[in-house]
Amino acid sequence: MKRILIVDDAATVRLYHRQILEAAGYKVYEAVNGIEALEKSLQQPFDLYVVDINMPKLDGYGFLRELRSQDIYQAPAIMVSTEAQTSDHQQAFAAGANAYLVKPVKPEQLLIQVKLMIGEARG
Amino acid sequence: MALIKTQTHQPIAHDERKQARDCNSLLLELENDNPMARRWAARDLADCPAASAALVSRLQLEDDVSVREVILTTLTVMGNEVAVVGLVNCLRSEKVALRNEAIEAMKQLPDEVAPIMRGLLADADPDVRIFAVNILESLRHPEVESWLISVIDHDPELNVCATAVDLLGEVGSSASREPLLRLKARYTQVPYIQFATDLALKRISDG
Repeated sequence: MKRILIVDDAATVRLYHRQILEAAGYKVYEAVNGIEALEKSLQQPFDLYVVDINMPKLDGYGFLRELRSQDIYQAPAIMVSTEAQTSDHQQAFAAGANAYLVKPVKPEQLLIQVKLMIGEARG
Repeated sequence: MALIKTQTHQPIAHDERKQARDCNSLLLELENDNPMARRWAARDLADCPAASAALVSRLQLEDDVSVREVILTTLTVMGNEVAVVGLVNCLRSEKVALRNEAIEAMKQLPDEVAPIMRGLLADADPDVRIFAVNILESLRHPEVESWLISVIDHDPELNVCATAVDLLGEVGSSASREPLLRLKARYTQVPYIQFATDLALKRISDG
């Protein structure tokens, strides 16, 4: 079972994403900020990250930059944010994101990106 | 696999003050090349209310997170108009870390932030309105629920309403029930709003 870490400070958003992903058969873990996500990532490997940008303590950009500097398995990351400017997308990719979705995300949007990132999409 | 730290977090207790501590000297120290000296200056400037503008300016330039944290704490302690306006301007910064640090600082200023909250919630920039709702998350103020209700009833931006619904699920009372139902009816095609309003309504009915 593929393991996905959701990183978001909003409990409702985490629950929403968790329900979508669990219903599709994924094992879901949660972190409430970048620091907690980094700690969990160093303890165990994940197959994918779903990461918010604006979080206290360590934001999504900071988390991905730190994650990408670590000598661990580098799973793909989908950044999910309310910010829809091109500059936000650019910053996300520069920090190490592989895809970018604008909130609020529709279940099918999230699942398509997750499958693409994990390599489960069929042509 | 050690975690790579890019910023220094030396405890202030181990720092040493080396310069004169009058307000003018402290303002000069705020520009010192040594982050430790800047951190001490930022802390001691709490006794110099006229320095709030200089602290706000420094905040925009400061790269060291530990110095930024002390500046924000000092501005929070000062709590004067210049300090609060400076914090508000941080919400418009392109620097995510600075924005989030300012949000955390403003949560500690209920009396100072409350008078400007209506303005923040009506800001032309939807991102600033979202950050204003984030500030309400732990702002201990009796108006929080009514501000959130006003947001979900009137804000035209979906994500501002979505952020407010998350919080109403935690702080909302029966007064939020009808506004939540109105929002749910307004966004029938948005699964997240349907999910979040149902969750908030359940939490409210569960008490």
